[in-house]
Amino acid sequence: MAALELMPAAQPALTTTEAPPSTSSSQPSQKSMSKAERRELQEKQRAAKIAQKQQPPGDAPNKPKSKPKPVAPQNPTQPSGADASRSKDATSAPTMDAAEMSKSRNLRIFSHFGLPKHGPGLKGDIHPCIVRLALQFSEFKICGANARCIATLTAFKTVIQDYTTPPNNTLSRHLMTHLSPQITHLVSARPMSVTMGNAIRQLKLEISGSDIDMPEQDAKDLLCQKIDDYIRDRIIIADEVIQDLACRKIKDGDVILTYARSSVVEKVLLSAHKQGKRFSVIVVDSRPLLEGKELLKALTSAPPVSWTLSNDSLLPPPPPIPCTYALLPALPSLITEATSVILGAHSLHSNGAVFSRAGTALVALMAKQHSVPVLVCCETYKFSEGVMLDGFGKNELAPSHLFRDISTSSQEPNLEILNPLYDLTPPSCITAVVTEVGLIPPSSISSIPMALGRISL
Amino acid sequence: MASEVSNTPTQRAVENLAWKLRRRQIVGSRATALETLLVLRHVISKSRFSNMEQLVTIIRGVGRRLVEAQPKEHSVGNTVRKVLHHIREEYHTATRGSAAASYSGFSISKFVLLGQPRKNTPLPKAESKGTLKENDPDDPDSFARSLKPVLMEAIQDVLDELETVYDNVSKNAQNHIHSDEIILTLGMSKTVEAFLISAAHHRNYTVMVLETAPSYGGRDMAQALSAAGISTFLVPDSSLYGLMSRVNKVILGAHAILANGGMFAITGSLLAATAAHAHSTPVVVCAGQFKLTPLWNLYHEYGALDFGDPSQVLGFEEGSLVDKVDVVNPFYDYVQPNLIDAFITNDGDHPPSSIYRLIKETYDDEDNEL
Amino acid sequence: MNIWATYQRKLEDEQISPPLAAILSLVDLCATSTAGTMFELVKALNEGSDSLKQHSPNPISINAGCELFIAFVTLFPHDSASFSDLKMELVKQGETYVRQALTYRRKIGELAVDFIKDDSVILTHSYSRVVMETLLLAHRSKRISVFVTEARPRGLGVKTAQALTAAGIPCTVILDSAVAYAMDKVDLVLVGSEAVVESGGLINAVGSLNIAIIAKSSHKPFYALAESYKFHRLFPLSQYDLPSHNPRILSFPPPIEQDNILGHPSSAVGSEVPSSRITQEEIAKNNPDVDYTRPDLISLVFSDIGSLTPGGVSAYLVGMFAG
Repeated sequence: MAALELMPAAQPALTTTEAPPSTSSSQPSQKSMSKAERRELQEKQRAAKIAQKQQPPGDAPNKPKSKPKPVAPQNPTQPSGADASRSKDATSAPTMDAAEMSKSRNLRIFSHFGLPKHGPGLKGDIHPCIVRLALQFSEFKICGANARCIATLTAFKTVIQDYTTPPNNTLSRHLMTHLSPQITHLVSARPMSVTMGNAIRQLKLEISGSDIDMPEQDAKDLLCQKIDDYIRDRIIIADEVIQDLACRKIKDGDVILTYARSSVVEKVLLSAHKQGKRFSVIVVDSRPLLEGKELLKALTSAPPVSWTLSNDSLLPPPPPIPCTYALLPALPSLITEATSVILGAHSLHSNGAVFSRAGTALVALMAKQHSVPVLVCCETYKFSEGVMLDGFGKNELAPSHLFRDISTSSQEPNLEILNPLYDLTPPSCITAVVTEVGLIPPSSISSIPMALGRISL
Repeated sequence: MASEVSNTPTQRAVENLAWKLRRRQIVGSRATALETLLVLRHVISKSRFSNMEQLVTIIRGVGRRLVEAQPKEHSVGNTVRKVLHHIREEYHTATRGSAAASYSGFSISKFVLLGQPRKNTPLPKAESKGTLKENDPDDPDSFARSLKPVLMEAIQDVLDELETVYDNVSKNAQNHIHSDEIILTLGMSKTVEAFLISAAHHRNYTVMVLETAPSYGGRDMAQALSAAGISTFLVPDSSLYGLMSRVNKVILGAHAILANGGMFAITGSLLAATAAHAHSTPVVVCAGQFKLTPLWNLYHEYGALDFGDPSQVLGFEEGSLVDKVDVVNPFYDYVQPNLIDAFITNDGDHPPSSIYRLIKETYDDEDNEL
Repeated sequence: MNIWATYQRKLEDEQISPPLAAILSLVDLCATSTAGTMFELVKALNEGSDSLKQHSPNPISINAGCELFIAFVTLFPHDSASFSDLKMELVKQGETYVRQALTYRRKIGELAVDFIKDDSVILTHSYSRVVMETLLLAHRSKRISVFVTEARPRGLGVKTAQALTAAGIPCTVILDSAVAYAMDKVDLVLVGSEAVVESGGLINAVGSLNIAIIAKSSHKPFYALAESYKFHRLFPLSQYDLPSHNPRILSFPPPIEQDNILGHPSSAVGSEVPSSRITQEEIAKNNPDVDYTRPDLISLVFSDIGSLTPGGVSAYLVGMFAG
């Protein structure tokens, strides 16, 4: 229930940082932008007032906790809007001294980082399974692009089954309005992933295309079937194909280096091991999430393969995968030993850049320096149209209350702790992206929709 | 040998320091350099010698002893080398009058060595001290007696240099950090801390500190900087690449600066320098000149072949994993010279390419192996 | 005396490299010279070195030796009573130096061995006495394996491979064109040199530049080994600024008569016409023997006076000849 007590966030669903650039977002974005401006103005005035009281310059007026709510909708994809608000600030508060200016400037630089907003009050009719899911999202109990997408779609199945079309309305027209607040609620727990965005867009298409004349229960069953198909085709089967393709690139004696934990990479490594390949794995990991430990657990507890019969002779089970574990700063020492690097991804962009867990770009960069091939395993449904140039513009911060280390106390007024969750790996550092349509060079990522035979995903 | 060693107070002092070094009771390059210097001063003031060679042998012996105790702490060897260099210089100034006849040993191999870069020794002072006599059979201590005062002076100079090293490194801080810049640093380095705080007296800027796992020295650094009124962000190592596009400058500390202009530095430095290089962000290293080491990096990947405690990386709370997994926790990175833009030292700013010359000027070649 | 014949004779000793042979030839010249003054002696020496250079197809390494000896002679403090004593002294100095110089390879080997870690794969080029010495020294304490380039046109890589294999070092000859293919397996590159020049760069058997560029792009260290008598006061601006360059190198053959091709297109394709047959000798004739490796491609130069960065080499050269 903790989430419910916290501040309501006013941002509508599809305008958060991670939302796919969709057409429906322009109108609410404008509304909240003015809100953001107003808030910023208030901050300035408060700051000026404190400055007049002649506080020592070191004492920041903005305690980390009172950091303005991230002005998410005003994200860098709309630079003109941001600039406008900035210039307005400059004229409205000319009395601020330099120290104050630099303080607020810092805040502004990081302001677009989507800090997770804590659950809005239950606005409207939120299905209990969505409430639960939102809680799991906000506490990082369910984490990872695939897991979040599957969990969302599964929850939507329940929502759809429990839904009855109100009188004088049709399912194809009304169901989406019923789902919207649910989505909003999920997004308020944690910004939406590209995968969720893509899946929801597909779902919307299916809903609006459902037959008006179909009995309601049949239509709902059909939608649930479509959702199951989506999960099966785009995620589960895709993963199997990726496993198969990536396994072919693992040879006996290889040393595979991977970073953090990706569900696909984990499956690839386990299935290569199951095929009897003798290779070792280096897991590189970093705070704040330290997901690599999970991967280590999965790899070291790989089910003891029993004796296998091959060519009429009984073969002993292969030894467990030899694993090495290190934190990110030790990467340069280990990269020379690796024969290939296999990474996961959060989303793919049409310029070939891969948006993934923070730290991935460093691994790819070092691998490139040492001419170690870098494979990124990624299902095509993670494809996001649009170009991304750096991982700073669009990012998400891990909630510091979850990942604060014991030894740090942020009592210092000038000290802030930021835990960005993602970074962007430039295409130049990637050798190939392993998708279910094959290995593709990053330069051809934009052809994925064509490879799938459709215009839009 | 051992009993003889611990007999005199001088040797006790040497052994005492060697012991502390071996147990890592003295950490930090500057503290080690200071301790070494104090012991050397003690040794020189107490020991008896009647010619130059004896003195050099004594000091080398002490140096070797200390270096063996902690071969990873390069500032010990550096201090010994520096003292030897100063001793020779003082000796040459004192004996300039009588040493002119050395031309008779002129040969082609000597001629080749003429090319060796070294600091132009200042012209001998007008009054040449002709009183310096080596191996005087009547009075074996006369050499030591006449030389010791100048030697003490020379050591005092080195000591002064060490004591003012932070001030001198950060002297020009405001020329390197400009208003509104975003600076990235990592780990805990006293030199960098002093540099950044000094710059904060003149400029308003922001520092991002990487936590620098597994030692998490960055957290102490962030505390120290924010306490000094600098707006500070503490970020995990993984965010390095994502933030780099907004960083104006990367400022690093060094463990040892090597002869080719590369350096050993805390793990994570290479990653930061590489990411900075990829973004064309300048990388600046702040270090005192006592970190100049006339060595090369022999092993490219494992910086100094020094490893930390694996339990820092994978604690015993992960009991089931610990015995199934190899854990690697190297102490240092080797950062190649091409990734470094400048060294800011207590004696001026230098590009990596001139470190070689600097080292040739600071130490004598014959001391590279103690 | 015939200085060229003397030079050839000196070179017959397997241990004596061209610069040392040149120094020895000049020493002989000095001993037999009738010069009565320093000026005459230096003049005679310069003439001798010019004649050596004219005879040699590749004057660079001879140049380095001559330059060193002549510079030494001019700087030698000559306050001796009689000039013939001075000449004898110079002869003695020269001979002592050559004797000393023969120990340099060992000294360089000892420096370089520290940089070779256990179990490393080393790429070397052609044949070099100092590289051989280093590899054999490394073999005593470390496990090493070696790739050596064939080094066309002279094919000296085979000689290296035979010597290394005889010493029990695993060694494979690779094609000059396979260097890029092999580079990812290599830990470090070790080459000898004909001369090390003022820019800090290196002149060595043709192909070294290729290796250096490939090593650089794969971030592998490229080490050069050079005795200090190979330090040469020369600043090549490009490959074509080397003294060894001549118009024949890389020249195009005179055009084959046009009507021949037009008239019989089929015969032009099938190389039946004897005049258009390309032989190995012909290829070698139009190709350089040595190339110049830029200093930015070199990690370190190991020399008997220590391990030097390319910048350090040029500081030395300036100090020796200008100081």
